[in-house]
Amino acid sequence: MSAAHEASLHPDEKYKAGKMGQKVVTGGLVGFVVLTALSWLLSGSAAGHTADGTGHSRFFYGYLIGWTFILSIALGALLYVLIHHLVKAKWSTSTRRVAEILAGTFPIIAIGGLVIIIPLLAGRDDIYWWANKGFDHAEHVSASKHTWLSPAFFAVRYVIYFAAWIGLARYFTVRSRKQDETGDLALSKQMQFFSAPAVIIFALTICYAAFDFLMTLAPQWWSTIYGVNYFGGAMIAGYASIALLSMILQRTGRLQRSITTEHYHDLGKMVFAFTFFWAYTAFSQFMLIWYANVAEETVFYNYRMFGEGWKWVSIVLTFGQWLIPFVLLMSRWSKRILPLFAVFCVWQLCFHWLDLYWNVMPNYHWGAEAHGAAHLVTGPLTGPVGENNVNFSPVDITTWFALIALFIAGIGRGLKGNLIPVKDPNLGASVAHENY
Amino acid sequence: METNENNDHDEATSAHAGETSPATGSTSGHDGARASSNSDEGELYGVLAEFDSPGALVKAARKVKDAGYGDFDCYSPFPVHGIDEAMGIKRTILPVLVFCGGITGTFLGFLLQWYCNASAWQWNVAGKPVWSIPANVPIGFETTILLSVFTTFFGMWILNKLPQVWHPFFRLDRFTKVTDDGFMLGIEAKDGRFDAVETKKLLESAGAIAVEECYLDASPANTKMPMFIYGVIICTTALALVPFALVYKARASHSKDPHYHIFGDMDFQAKVKSDQYNDLFADGRSNRGEISGTIPRGWLNDDTSYAQGLENGAWITSFPTSVEVSRDLLRRGKQRYEIYCSPCHGVDGRGAGMVAVRSQKIGQGILPRNLVDPGAGVITQPNGQLFNTISNGNNTMMGYGAQIPVADRWAIVAYVRALERSQFAAGTDLTDAERSAAMGATP
Repeated sequence: MSAAHEASLHPDEKYKAGKMGQKVVTGGLVGFVVLTALSWLLSGSAAGHTADGTGHSRFFYGYLIGWTFILSIALGALLYVLIHHLVKAKWSTSTRRVAEILAGTFPIIAIGGLVIIIPLLAGRDDIYWWANKGFDHAEHVSASKHTWLSPAFFAVRYVIYFAAWIGLARYFTVRSRKQDETGDLALSKQMQFFSAPAVIIFALTICYAAFDFLMTLAPQWWSTIYGVNYFGGAMIAGYASIALLSMILQRTGRLQRSITTEHYHDLGKMVFAFTFFWAYTAFSQFMLIWYANVAEETVFYNYRMFGEGWKWVSIVLTFGQWLIPFVLLMSRWSKRILPLFAVFCVWQLCFHWLDLYWNVMPNYHWGAEAHGAAHLVTGPLTGPVGENNVNFSPVDITTWFALIALFIAGIGRGLKGNLIPVKDPNLGASVAHENY
Repeated sequence: METNENNDHDEATSAHAGETSPATGSTSGHDGARASSNSDEGELYGVLAEFDSPGALVKAARKVKDAGYGDFDCYSPFPVHGIDEAMGIKRTILPVLVFCGGITGTFLGFLLQWYCNASAWQWNVAGKPVWSIPANVPIGFETTILLSVFTTFFGMWILNKLPQVWHPFFRLDRFTKVTDDGFMLGIEAKDGRFDAVETKKLLESAGAIAVEECYLDASPANTKMPMFIYGVIICTTALALVPFALVYKARASHSKDPHYHIFGDMDFQAKVKSDQYNDLFADGRSNRGEISGTIPRGWLNDDTSYAQGLENGAWITSFPTSVEVSRDLLRRGKQRYEIYCSPCHGVDGRGAGMVAVRSQKIGQGILPRNLVDPGAGVITQPNGQLFNTISNGNNTMMGYGAQIPVADRWAIVAYVRALERSQFAAGTDLTDAERSAAMGATP
């Protein structure tokens, strides 16, 4: 039976990774270390939030953006795998290993996240205001969140999230790779069975992770759809990255006949769909807050819509992440002409980063730097709107690239063995897949 | 068909014969008899060929297309992959139509809201501008989807020439197999390349297991729609109008029955409303006022000219020193005036607001004061008194102190002063530049 499955691949097809992975890991790690060190040095000149003014908070903010960026790609790829098994999909079989490789980066992302967690446990408040002693004197809205927002409990949740994600990714990757050897259909059944509870675990963890890592930057503000909005961005990033990694692997001469224009077309449909989904959730969050017009909630948009500079970031984001790709990706040809589709994937990834930048960076201006020693701790989203400018820093970019390098190292770890689930019973249907 | 004796006989025969005799061609045995009886009736519609597999059908379709035929179609029990390309069918224009339908939906949705809220019946809701994009997006989104879906659904039917209740090939018994296991290709006689002999040869060489001619019915009586169909259409249409008739009848009816409460916990919430009786407190009121002798933090304002419009017990005639009359203040005042004052006093201050118009129409209430008429006396009031009227009300007008912050009340006072001044403005009040700018701005 397994012979029949392998027969669905063209006899000349190259689907072995070979030894490419090790080089990628080395290159990625070197890039990460160099760029992180560079970012640290660059941010050293700027005063941070801490009382002595020696903090590297710009570095930490940039790092958080880059880190949530690569995390979202891994999460998007993980859900791709879960959905594939949940709906017993056929077409996505030939790109599933690529998604598994992307979802296999969770361990290295967890290690990268220690740069945020360890200083927090050591009592530093470079990113999160709630770790600052001044938070103790904050208003009752924030005070009710004290138990949740303690560094120790935060670290515990960090462990829970990554235990869940690494566990899920391993469960599916290990079985998928095992099927490469044995061709055992029971493995497909197991994965299909577990995918349903896995999706529930995924939904809860991604939602709470977005609340914890991003929304608590301004602990006095809340939005219940925030996690769903992060999920929308993660799915755009996930699908775009699966398409890009597939194209890169094909450029090395591998998978020439298994991943076709038809698969890219369908991946493009998903990028298109989640582009709209992201905008839908972003607008849902905005419109309710705009309509209710309650000061505790509008503060989030006040700084982003009326701050000089942030106003333009908001407009650029609306057009760049939604309207332009929404209209252009609607066409069949923008997904089937592959160089064009690659441009859209890179475009969407860049704007996904800008989305995270827009979510994180307006919280940066607080403490000593913004308002002087007299008002040492005012918290994020306080103080005059006009003073909260974008103040773009090269550190924002270098930290982003540093984490992309880390992510590439994580991808390199997975580039081994088969790059396609060679004995999956649906592989034949996937290779022959066509759109009508 | 029910009138055709020959056909009835034919069907009986074929049922009797069963599937044991595979059709081998149009000239042999049973099929030959069928074809010849068919040919007596009318002109030739086309030829139908049967193939034994989807793959053979795709190959044959490609061959027929390559031979230059255009008026032909394929029939199969399920969608056959690659048949569109083999037949040379162009991509449908439906996506373009749907896109246009969607854009039209967006446009109409926004137009509807602009007409209702910003043009025909300007009504202030929650202090939002009468025309604001965020509030209009959900409806625009819905109408976009609605028209996209309509265009997709009806466009699909129209482009496929559906509903098609009858087709000439239905006259051939063989054709019933396309809903089961038959893969057929039919070429119409109206095609320019059609030739009764050559076309059949082509189909046979393409691997057809049977080729048949199909003739139209010669008798005009059989091509008419049966009378009962007209009856069904008329009855269905009449029934479809009944709900509308009931709605029309109910448009002005009254009912003393209580409402249905579908969401009980939403209609009857476990909470106390401000005007309800409540025996928890000695005075029986749910609504608790401010504690006497206290004032909310930040509300203490000992500048009486600013907080009350009074200076040494008299209305102030100018503005308090802390209020700077500027273009921004007037703009703010205009916006607040149109939110809070214009429903009664009208946007021009002449007392013809929505509420006033309505109350005159139903013959109730009194006209609001004309703010800009010298005879009505508002023009000569000191600023402080006007401020006091906004804060605490006058005659039947309620005070707006609870809704409008002090700074905004002064902005409204400034705007009302500007409104009054505008009624008696002369062209010479403006510099030449301002005048030409204003003339240019006014259509």
